[in-house]
Amino acid sequence: MNRYQFEDLISEYIENELSLSKRKKFEAYLEEHPDSAQLVNAIKDNIVRLNQMQALKTSGSFNEHLLEKIENPRFNIDKDQVRSMIFGLTPGYATLMMGFVATFIFISLQLLMPDVDTQIMKKVHLTDNDIPANTNPSINHNIIEDQDMVHTIDDSVRADSTIRLKKDFSKKMQFVND
Amino acid sequence: MSLDKKSTFLYTDEQLIGRFQAGDERAYVELVNRYKDRLFNFVFPFFGDVEQSEDVVQDTMLRLYEKKHYYKEIAKFSTWIYTIARNLANTELRKRKRRKTTYLSQMSKEDRQYDIPAVQDDVDQDLQNEFMRNRINLAIDALPEHFKTVIILRDIQELSYDDISNIVEVPLGTIKSRINRARLQLQAELQDLK
Repeated sequence: MNRYQFEDLISEYIENELSLSKRKKFEAYLEEHPDSAQLVNAIKDNIVRLNQMQALKTSGSFNEHLLEKIENPRFNIDKDQVRSMIFGLTPGYATLMMGFVATFIFISLQLLMPDVDTQIMKKVHLTDNDIPANTNPSINHNIIEDQDMVHTIDDSVRADSTIRLKKDFSKKMQFVND
Repeated sequence: MSLDKKSTFLYTDEQLIGRFQAGDERAYVELVNRYKDRLFNFVFPFFGDVEQSEDVVQDTMLRLYEKKHYYKEIAKFSTWIYTIARNLANTELRKRKRRKTTYLSQMSKEDRQYDIPAVQDDVDQDLQNEFMRNRINLAIDALPEHFKTVIILRDIQELSYDDISNIVEVPLGTIKSRINRARLQLQAELQDLK
């Protein structure tokens, strides 16, 4: 153990925080170097003096002056502000936090839930030749795939209506006269 | 609200701040009475001036009154209020440096002359104690601020290493090392004292 190592361990030795092996080495160093032992004893004495130093006390009028400051409107202690905390936050910070939360929720929804219109487009059966140039993206997903469905470019399709073309059997079915 | 010194609460500091947050101002009074002297002894070595030290402690108590809802039970109350006092003291010290004003150090709180009576058994002991106190205060004052802070908190205020680490916002290992170096330097200042 050298002098630097010894000095680094003084406080731990005084406060009994050294391991047994380190303590033995430390005490062996003290025996070999009497001036180091004097240093350790002097530091111990200083700690005792500091512990026993008579504590200073505030003046007798401390509480009175403090009360005056609290009661005095000049010091702008807004008691109403203290009471108007929202979840431990001032109204300004509470508004800011709500904005962050709303933004986070909005972005999360955009990322996690695919666009509903994209899903609808996949369900509609369209051949390559029949892909209209200006297909209305708001076609309702309830459109029933129907091979007989007449393909039209109709911009007036209502999103909330179930489109179901009535089948005209008049040309296909012929009643046989008895 | 009256600041009555006769409040006798058996609550912990954390319970008291909780009651104060709920609106019980007697709890605030009790906290003031518990901490005013401790904080005064903490900040006084930095200023050496009674009035200014009391102002800092008063500002700390005002901050406690205004910002009580900022305290959360994650940390100890003592850590929180010491941190407030430390920050206010640092702000005031920076102002002093900018103003370049100095204050006469008042090593003794009591501004009185010693009248040595004709007969008093322990007068020598009182003088010796006063001399010792002044000598130690001068030695502490000569330390760098980061050493002064930790030696006051550890050896005078007797706070734990963890509390000091939280107040000073420095890792625990650094605090232990700093206290060790501070004690060595303090001994170098006091080596003529027996």
